[in-house]
Amino acid sequence: MTVLRAEALSVALRQGGAEIPVLNRIDLALAPGRVLGLVGESGAGKSMIGRTVAQLLPPHFAVSGGKLEFAGRDLVSMPPRARRALLGREIAFIPQEPLTALNPVRTIGSQFAEHFARLGEGDHRARTVAALEAVHLPDPAGLLARYPHQLSGGMCQRVLIAMAFASRPKLVVADEPTTALDVTIQARIMELMQEMRARDGTAVLFITHDLRLAAQVCDDIAVLYAGSVVEQGPAAAVLGGPRHPYTRCLQLAIPAMTGPRRALLALPEQMPGLRAMTTLRGCRFAPRCPLAAEQCRAAPPPLGTEDHRAACFRAELTPTIAPPEETLATHIQPGNPVLDVAGLGKRFRTGSLFRPGHMDAVSEASLAIASGEFVAVVGESGSGKSTLGRLLVGLERPTAGRILLAGRDVTAGTEADRRHRVRNVQMVFQDPQSALNPRRRVAAIMTQAMEAVGAPAAERARRAAELLAEMGLAPETGARSPAQLSGGQRQRVNIARALCTVPPLLVADEIVSGLDVSVQAQLLNLLRRLRAELDFALLFISHDLAVVRHVCDRVLVMHRGRIVEHGPTEQVFAAPRHEYTRTLLDSMPKDFPMA
Amino acid sequence: MQLLATLGRRLLVVLPILFVVSALLFTALRVLPVDPAAMSMPPTATRDEIEAARRAMGLDQPLPQQYAIWLGHVVHGDFGRSIHLRRDVVELVRQTLPATIELALCAMLVAAVLGLAGGLLLFALRDNPAEPVAETGTTLMMSVPEFLWALLFIFVFGVALQAMPFTGRLDPGMIRPDITGFLLLDALLAGRLDILRSAAAHMVLPAFALGIAFAPPIMRVLRSSLLDVYHEDYIHQARLRGLSETRILLRHALKNAILPTLTLMGVQFGFLFGGSLLVEVIYSYPGLGNLMVDAVRNADLPIIQAVGLTYCVVVLVINSVVDGLYLTLNPRLRAR
Repeated sequence: MTVLRAEALSVALRQGGAEIPVLNRIDLALAPGRVLGLVGESGAGKSMIGRTVAQLLPPHFAVSGGKLEFAGRDLVSMPPRARRALLGREIAFIPQEPLTALNPVRTIGSQFAEHFARLGEGDHRARTVAALEAVHLPDPAGLLARYPHQLSGGMCQRVLIAMAFASRPKLVVADEPTTALDVTIQARIMELMQEMRARDGTAVLFITHDLRLAAQVCDDIAVLYAGSVVEQGPAAAVLGGPRHPYTRCLQLAIPAMTGPRRALLALPEQMPGLRAMTTLRGCRFAPRCPLAAEQCRAAPPPLGTEDHRAACFRAELTPTIAPPEETLATHIQPGNPVLDVAGLGKRFRTGSLFRPGHMDAVSEASLAIASGEFVAVVGESGSGKSTLGRLLVGLERPTAGRILLAGRDVTAGTEADRRHRVRNVQMVFQDPQSALNPRRRVAAIMTQAMEAVGAPAAERARRAAELLAEMGLAPETGARSPAQLSGGQRQRVNIARALCTVPPLLVADEIVSGLDVSVQAQLLNLLRRLRAELDFALLFISHDLAVVRHVCDRVLVMHRGRIVEHGPTEQVFAAPRHEYTRTLLDSMPKDFPMA
Repeated sequence: MQLLATLGRRLLVVLPILFVVSALLFTALRVLPVDPAAMSMPPTATRDEIEAARRAMGLDQPLPQQYAIWLGHVVHGDFGRSIHLRRDVVELVRQTLPATIELALCAMLVAAVLGLAGGLLLFALRDNPAEPVAETGTTLMMSVPEFLWALLFIFVFGVALQAMPFTGRLDPGMIRPDITGFLLLDALLAGRLDILRSAAAHMVLPAFALGIAFAPPIMRVLRSSLLDVYHEDYIHQARLRGLSETRILLRHALKNAILPTLTLMGVQFGFLFGGSLLVEVIYSYPGLGNLMVDAVRNADLPIIQAVGLTYCVVVLVINSVVDGLYLTLNPRLRAR
């Protein structure tokens, strides 16, 4: 008895008479109590499968072929009313962004009551309290009168999980349920989902971009690329010995948490967009595949029918794809101190005029960075790591301590301090979409720092060309506007802008989070290459421990505004001394065994 | 508790605003080339008699001193006597203010009901071929000024169809109960349904004339904030829980989308209150507007000052009320 079965399921976007395939003949089967992982990068179509299950597709998207059955009933031809009756009852959904998935102007209790009323069950209050208790929320009765904004992201996700499992559904679709959460919370949410699944024998469709997490959670895995399943089978087999080059490349693009540091395999370019998909004839992965041959470009390879199957003509060669040789010197001798911070603190005023309070975002932070050094600041949201970065570049004014930057005390933040800072430290922001002025050309954005000192146009154009080459961007990119670039290209422009005058110190705040792993690998390799070519120190703020391990020599662990541990990366990761560092490291999903 | 704190903080801001407005008002009126002393005397008065009147009114003093004297009286609730009507100004304002507030509230109600209904209609018509037609309709509603609506309504409903009364507040011969000054309320309190009916009928045309032009902005804001809200995750999640579209609109989307509309209405009420002046004149409605127009015609400075300040106070009070309302409807603004 399968809960969910897809047979040659295709979804297409109808646009101006043309039909663009978005999902391409997908076959899936999910049995009760099992977890099926849909993994792949953004644009692969994994969320589209979830939306097809709910039959809530975006405008102009429609099922164009194949079957999708839930407990033996055809979901595609089912009348909307009958389908709606299934939602929230037999099929439940856990969203990606818990903080925005609950209505902000209604209490938790009233949203639950509405749900139970729809399920047609009496005594909402007792049922709600029981449901909230089941997801281990403290004080469930007190929670009823609270609003979503009064809860943390992890608590909201627990509430949503409680709601999803309240009707004891047959199928739960979880679309990146922990992507927006901290890693320690992620571990607990995953545990909770497993517990609820075991309690009700629920089948779970688990959509994620995180291979490591998928390896830990899923029984079976389907790897998607550009709307097609390229590899499918038991999780242990697929991730233990991938047969499709794409799966193998993804694994090699992820930095490891254990073992020796290896160079990352960076797939060239990116997944084809919707438009490009119509013109591709052969294997959709062929343009980026290290194994591609003539045959691959002629016709799409079949997926096969084995238990562990891959859509590749040359699957037997997949294990031969190896990570690139580590060519760059990993340890660079630190030079003179660039930054010396002692007892730095930032206190924000909170509360009202009548009831003043305060919150220490950063307290007693001391650190030093020498030229050429790459130092990481890790911590969870609210740990103060971003505030620390903003203090260093002068976006916030410290309330305690001092900052010595390239030999000058810039704590006071005078006009002269500001000019000194501009020459000596630059910041790369997390979201290039909002960090780049949409009305300016890439070349002008990259050389913004020269604008301030009134450099002649010819010189700026020359520097822009150099930077484009250094960042691995095509020369014509300079004339484009940010909106015409992909996310990875935008982040390169963002980094190029900060490096324009090669400041002695670069502060980078979560610059690879939110990017796909193949793009992340491109950027991390770029950072390491730039390090060998240019002379700058980097303060790398990140929540991703594996990335930090790959990039940085030293690491600072922040917790509740304080630096709780500090040392060489390998040493801290191998033998954490602080309790919090241990929790953080334990919460990380483990590496899968690499062939 | 927080509501009180907010209102308290508001009050701290209101007093300096009132001080500045009153100073501006006073100075502007004294710069006008009118001589209230001469106007208060019969045409046969001699130059010496006018001079004596001027001294008696304190008009020979330097301007700052005049202001200080006036302010001293105002703080004690004494706005002086009308030069032309020879009556206590506070009494005049007290008699006319409720009428204008009643008119403005009814007009705001018209604007709100039309605006919210129209906003929902526009939202329902999104991506529909009829959408441009509805858009044109709202633009037309908005571009006709209130005095033109007033005249149009008199012509159509008052003169041509003879369906509605269009002068004053009551049918001739009726004696209004005076309890609070708010006629609709007073008629109810006195249990006089005939008066209530007549007062309501008299209110229809002025309220619509004044309120109708304020409805389209509400419609548009509601429509666009509904469109925004429908992109939010919680709407999608509500759908995934299997809730009906009607329920999603009424119980989830509208509760959020109404908030920007409320802010707009608060701002609009200030304009609407000021706009009541012309409508009152056209409908011979005995409110603050008519009092003000007569006072301006007669250069009756004490009345102009008092009415001007009253307008200011009303707008400030409305703003505070809207802020308080906003706080109760939007839990995110309350203390965590």
